[in-house]
Amino acid sequence: MTRLFRRLPPWLALLLPAIVILLVVVLVPLLLSLYSSFTPYRLTRPETLYKWIGEYNYVKVATDANFWWAFGRTVFLLTVALNLEMLLGLGLALLVNKVTWGQRGLRTIMMFPMMFSPILVGFQFKFIFNDNVGLVNNALQSLGITDQAIAWLVDGKLAMFAIIFAEVWMSTSVFAILILAGLFAIPRDPLEAAKVDGCTPWQSFRHISLPFLMPFIYIAMAIRSLDVARAYDIVQIMTNGGPARRTELLWTLIGRTGYVDAKMGLANAMGYISIFLAIFFTVYFFRKLNASRAALGYNA
Amino acid sequence: MVSYSRVGGIILKNTKHWSATTLAIPLLAVSAFATAAEFDGVTLDAKLIGGQQYEALYARIADWEAETGAEVNVISKKNHFELDKEFKSDLAAGSLGWCVGSNHSSFASQYPSLYTDLTPYLTPEFIADYVDSNIAASKIGDSLVMLPRAQFDVSALYYQKSLYEDAEKQAAFEKEYGYELTPPDTWQQLTDQAIFFSDPPNFYGTQFAGKDEAIVGRFYELVVAEGGQLFNDDWSPAFNSEAGVRALDWFVNIYSQGAAPKGTTSYLWDELGQGFASGTIALNLDWPGWAGFFNDPESSKVAGNVGVVVQPQGSAGVRTGWSGHHGFSVTESCENKEAAASLVAFLTNEDSQKLESSAGPLPTRKAVWEHVVAQAEGDAYRTEVLQAFQAASEHAFPAPKTPYWIEATNIIYPELQAAILGDKSSAEALEVAAEAVDEMMREYGEY
Repeated sequence: MTRLFRRLPPWLALLLPAIVILLVVVLVPLLLSLYSSFTPYRLTRPETLYKWIGEYNYVKVATDANFWWAFGRTVFLLTVALNLEMLLGLGLALLVNKVTWGQRGLRTIMMFPMMFSPILVGFQFKFIFNDNVGLVNNALQSLGITDQAIAWLVDGKLAMFAIIFAEVWMSTSVFAILILAGLFAIPRDPLEAAKVDGCTPWQSFRHISLPFLMPFIYIAMAIRSLDVARAYDIVQIMTNGGPARRTELLWTLIGRTGYVDAKMGLANAMGYISIFLAIFFTVYFFRKLNASRAALGYNA
Repeated sequence: MVSYSRVGGIILKNTKHWSATTLAIPLLAVSAFATAAEFDGVTLDAKLIGGQQYEALYARIADWEAETGAEVNVISKKNHFELDKEFKSDLAAGSLGWCVGSNHSSFASQYPSLYTDLTPYLTPEFIADYVDSNIAASKIGDSLVMLPRAQFDVSALYYQKSLYEDAEKQAAFEKEYGYELTPPDTWQQLTDQAIFFSDPPNFYGTQFAGKDEAIVGRFYELVVAEGGQLFNDDWSPAFNSEAGVRALDWFVNIYSQGAAPKGTTSYLWDELGQGFASGTIALNLDWPGWAGFFNDPESSKVAGNVGVVVQPQGSAGVRTGWSGHHGFSVTESCENKEAAASLVAFLTNEDSQKLESSAGPLPTRKAVWEHVVAQAEGDAYRTEVLQAFQAASEHAFPAPKTPYWIEATNIIYPELQAAILGDKSSAEALEVAAEAVDEMMREYGEY
């Protein structure tokens, strides 16, 4: 064994532990799950892992309307939540940037929602939007706005709204913090020159601040798109994908298929198809990021 | 050679091969094996259901250890849903070095190869002392895969007494429906009364579990009460029948008439229990575990105003009665099955069940039923509860014993919800669910 190590070039011998760990921790589980997606593997019947059924699971998933509805809903959630978080985060960052006293304290407070576990956020909003004892309905009824119990987590559109609300509440600060970092990095000279030249605040923001902020926005978008494409905890707690599949997302469906129904082979096939969604958005945002950096004169 | 030994107060059947000396003195084998060292040096790893309400029983494990010389090592304590995932992971990874596991009649059929048949380790008399329907529900085929503990669940009907004592309501109800206002004995009466009592959004006639296995369980018992079945004998779906449509129409009707809270499709047991305790629900089909909670002024606004009657019957003259019970099982891979069976028998014997049922849960041994009823004498509420649930247990039947029960419920419940919320008609929803369940059963080679 020692002789074998001596024969290796030193760089390879030094890198070998890292390579082995990466192979064991990343590559082997990936290959195993890819393999299992071509089997009828059920957790309760280990012997099914050795039965090859070809692309059966993939065909089944590809022709399953429920899966594609969940896929569509996930894309919808991703699009709406990301845009809302970006707009609100931008607004928050611009406001906090104006504050001259107590800014550090404000920045810390702004990060509070990020510190909660998504499961806790799910429970919190499940209570807030409860039709019977929830905060929102009680407030609406006390204010005389309605005398009905609005079923926030039952109606398809309202339930999706409630989930997006919870997502936005928890993660807007990710955008705000990253955009605030971008605001701190903007050079003062072009802004002052624009002021001297008589630009309105909107023109300065639109043509100077925003292009500088775009790389930061795209980084936040890329990070959050991966998060939202894997949205699970909040939805699982608030609606569990229901009722009647009205809020079913990819990962609530995959989680149920894999762990409750124990159909791990089928769940892995769903997972591999779903990964394309995450890859698409990541590639898209990185391209946008490079384009915005190139526009600023940085090397793409 | 079959012989018997008494361990921990339980007579166990002993199937091991005995030496010539032992064969020569068979009488000893019957009576003289109360030795403290029966399982000396044996260590049993156990995975048990966790929760404050179960701890009193687990405290008795020390007595069994002292009596037998064995040691019990509890390596996992979780709720059944978490244990279920852990058992599935163990099966997948082959990590089956443990011996004793908590089990539940609704989950048991999912692990056909995990647990051993306990019959060879127990005397027929010891088994006969359990309630027959509980033993039947503890078997997969002929194999007794668990021993039931005093955690038996069947639902009876809780109601607010004051509603039935109100003279104005009595007169108004009789005028509208043409019969006397008394706690319902049929599902049709329950429907009439639930609609009559409702005043949304402040007060509702009834409520129901609206998702997961819970709603399918409720649908299942209603299908039976309507004279139908969920599955045919070959496990092909049978619920897309007239009885099935009538059963689903009950949910649809109650929901569309505003006789249940709008959010009920997202409720599970906790929300239902809290709902009835909040005083905003008139009639509540629920489990025995809530009886104390509902009548405790600290936790319930209806304390002192709770009545319990046997669950109503459907149009086929059959009462609903979907039931389940907790139990303990011994793994097939356990190296000391006799010791493990002795522990499992000890934890479900008469003394253990008396201890567990003293806190409220229902027993599964005949003698303990008599004991708890006698104990409740003088306490009118407790007596009413026990009588109602004893009557309820006579109509109890377990969840369908297919390994694909939970998976089938995951296919069926979104369709039930779709009908309840008005997305589909009952017949359409059941047809879609039946097609999907049929495809699943065919895929697994059931027929």
